[in-house]
Amino acid sequence: MNATSTTRFDDLVKLDLKVLASRESAAAPEEFIPVFHRWITERVLPELLIDVADYSHVHEGPGVLLVGHDAIYAYDESRGEPGLLYSRRRETAPETAGIRTLDERLESLLLCAFRACDQIEAEPQLDGRVAFDRHRIELRVNDRLVPRDDEAALALGNALRRALAEAGVADDREPVGVKRIGEARDRLTLRTG
Amino acid sequence: MSQLTVDSTATWEAELEGRIPPHLSEEIEIFETQIAQKRQGRIDDKVFAETRLRRGVYGQRYDNGQRHDGTASRALEYPCGDLTKGPNTVWDAPGMLRIKIPFGAMNGEQMEVLADLAEEYSDGIAHVTTRQDIQLHFIHIDDTPDIMRRLAAVGITTQEACGNSVRNVTACPLAGVCRDEPFDVSPYAHAMTHFLLGHRDAQDFGRKFKIAFSGCEQHACGLANMHDLGVLAQVRTTGNGTKSTERGFKVFVGGGLGPVPHQAKVLREFVREDELLPLAQAVCRVFGRLGEKRNRARARIKFLVAKLGIEEFTRLVDEELAILPVDERWTAYLDHLDVADEHPTRPGAALEPGPRPEGFAEWLGTNVQRQRQSGYVTAAVNLPLGDLTSTQLRALADTARRFNGGLVRNTVEQNIVLRNVGEADLPALYAELRAAGLGAPGASSLVDVTSCPGTDTCKLGISSSRGLAGELRKRIADSIRTAGVLADEAVKDLRIKVSGCFNSCGQHHVADIGFYGVSRKSDGRTMPHFQVILGGQWTENAGSYGLAVVAVPSKRIPEVVERIAGLFVAEREKGESFQSFIARVGKARIRQLLDDLTKLPTYLEDRTLYSDWGDPREYTLGDLGVGECAGEVVTAVEFGLSAAEREVFQGLLELDRGDAGTAASRAYAAMVQAARALITTENIDIGNEPDEIVGEFRTRFYDTELFFDPYAGAKFANYLFRIHGDAETDSGEEAHRRIEEAQLFIEAAHACNQRISEIQAAGSLRRAV
Repeated sequence: MNATSTTRFDDLVKLDLKVLASRESAAAPEEFIPVFHRWITERVLPELLIDVADYSHVHEGPGVLLVGHDAIYAYDESRGEPGLLYSRRRETAPETAGIRTLDERLESLLLCAFRACDQIEAEPQLDGRVAFDRHRIELRVNDRLVPRDDEAALALGNALRRALAEAGVADDREPVGVKRIGEARDRLTLRTG
Repeated sequence: MSQLTVDSTATWEAELEGRIPPHLSEEIEIFETQIAQKRQGRIDDKVFAETRLRRGVYGQRYDNGQRHDGTASRALEYPCGDLTKGPNTVWDAPGMLRIKIPFGAMNGEQMEVLADLAEEYSDGIAHVTTRQDIQLHFIHIDDTPDIMRRLAAVGITTQEACGNSVRNVTACPLAGVCRDEPFDVSPYAHAMTHFLLGHRDAQDFGRKFKIAFSGCEQHACGLANMHDLGVLAQVRTTGNGTKSTERGFKVFVGGGLGPVPHQAKVLREFVREDELLPLAQAVCRVFGRLGEKRNRARARIKFLVAKLGIEEFTRLVDEELAILPVDERWTAYLDHLDVADEHPTRPGAALEPGPRPEGFAEWLGTNVQRQRQSGYVTAAVNLPLGDLTSTQLRALADTARRFNGGLVRNTVEQNIVLRNVGEADLPALYAELRAAGLGAPGASSLVDVTSCPGTDTCKLGISSSRGLAGELRKRIADSIRTAGVLADEAVKDLRIKVSGCFNSCGQHHVADIGFYGVSRKSDGRTMPHFQVILGGQWTENAGSYGLAVVAVPSKRIPEVVERIAGLFVAEREKGESFQSFIARVGKARIRQLLDDLTKLPTYLEDRTLYSDWGDPREYTLGDLGVGECAGEVVTAVEFGLSAAEREVFQGLLELDRGDAGTAASRAYAAMVQAARALITTENIDIGNEPDEIVGEFRTRFYDTELFFDPYAGAKFANYLFRIHGDAETDSGEEAHRRIEEAQLFIEAAHACNQRISEIQAAGSLRRAV
């Protein structure tokens, strides 16, 4: 991929954010099927939610998905590590309308993902058996047109640190460690903690 | 502060420049233009629906903007407002993309791209279908041109994956390595794919057209008996006292499942290899000309063959063959029969004794088959419900590269097969597959339940076929693990296949035990059921079709399987097949066996039966939509006129850009295209030369006054005649006028086509009276 200009990549919409479940969490992905159906019916989130997809039969797969128009939420099991995956595809919901910069977008991503985590942790059907570790986060650029070089990783990592500080997950006294994970052919993926 | 330093104008079109074959690039650009036209309301809903379907861009459940939550139907307020991508199909609603994989063959690079696409545009899952395709779900239509570009760059197209067209050409996944086949059918399936893709004689069908190649008669192989056109490899001696042989095919026509299954009839006992493509072309012509167009329920070729009788159908095909213009492609491919060859990349050494990974013996017993090439085997990857993740697909690509050069084939049982694996490599291969979660045993056995998408994503789904199939897989695996009745050797190789409705996408008619989704009323509510189908035969190319025995509530189907299997284990005679057993004990006995399961509890007695597998909502038929399997019946002339509209639209864009010369040329080209489209109603062999087209248009539509407008008379035809031979101009004013004239000419062509249709309908009516 040729980096022919040095434009700030603030237009990058397709980002995934996964908040890993705490190690004590004990819920099967199938348990999220009724939960997510109810979220659609009761319009629990301020965006258009459409369908639930069950891939719990697949090894270390996306688990159970809540498909929305702007984003997919999933109780994801990739890498064998359960967690709440928030995969943003578009920004048409009112609360994302004013986003202009990567920093604003990461803050918005954290807000959406953490809100879903809060909701799951409070779900009566799950009986408090699922909790999320908001210090263990994966951020992924879901677009292979974007370079996956060290420079991009560094910039994204810095933006993530700022967003986490803004979200109150970390501050200057407690800096967040960010490392790149995955193979060269994988999407650019960073992990904290 | 570091910044992300990228070219913000980067596009896949630019990124892949030079890597996409020009004809596919042009195809994708046309589709992108049509998307732009649709957004501007410049293309008819029905025409757009069929044009996207013919590119594999399919609808999905809830795309009508409604979703039933179990108590009421609620609107899904997509941001696109009134914009649609077909009748009653909302633009922004997620859809499915069907990706054609001819005879299921994929290489490592293709698998990696499919994995990338599943992650970036879909839900991270690639789904193998019962016709060897790959499907991605939850796709936005705006993303489809880029997806198509990325596929095209690795030699894959979605063109004609859906709609009323020649669908993916399938073949036995063991073709080339099977011990029973007379020769490898892969290069012939490859040739058929490329010959009929976009062929003008295959554009005017009333329904889809499916072709399958088989290497042998006795196995399930390519399932030739259940296809619109089935092709079975044969070799015959050429006589003259010599021992020389020639390759050819037994050709079947008019088979098909669907609500009313038909066994194919033999069209030819033997055609030589050089006769195969013209024969297929002639069949397409007869189907295009005489196949039903209005009543979609009877528009598959099986109904035409049944109506005419195979003798008359054969006579009509012979007539067409006699007048077909010779095409060098009929035989050119015979010089390249190595096109689909696959060669081992590792030695074919025998499997030596030694330590084995856990589970190896069971996997070896169910998933591995010896090839005709000594020392080599095929190894099946048993995919649950045909699904695998992007990570698994990439791992499979890596594994295949290490063990056989990176080639695999999808199977109609929704699995993937690695071929040309050296026997000695099996433990290492298994270890790698197992590490990727791809080492499940039981491929092509009882536990390997096949299912269509059903209510998960299909607009026609009545019951949750995937939900049921998933549950059956779990219970059968449990039974095998605990030495239950389903572990018995007698039932090990039975096939279970599930369809969400009567349309048979899950191929339930040819299973040993098949199910298709239905519903029943009880206690004032609706309850999901499945019809139980018995007597079908998977082997001998889907040798016979099963029949419905009784409908049972969805949640009780696992019990149905246990009881039927239990009866077979307990009462079968020595060596008796399952089909013979069912025939002997009779369906009345089976019905009696299941009778108590058909008694329906009230809602208060058992609410669980009033919802479906994997879906907690109270069951309803409220989400049923209009299926797109049949496509929209859009004739070749309508497609031609749509292409003319696209051309004039491009001319309009050129005019906006200030290029009057190109704008005027496009306006002229649009008129010629529209004229050609009309001519195809009378002469399908019309060429592409403007002189020929304008000449024929004058004879057939001007001199006969067929094209004349009731009020304006010859006016619109004269627009074309005036600029034919003098099309060039640099004048912006003239270009502007020509674009307006072209639009009027196309409108007149639409009106003319309408008049012709009315005349034809009146003629049909008179004949009927």
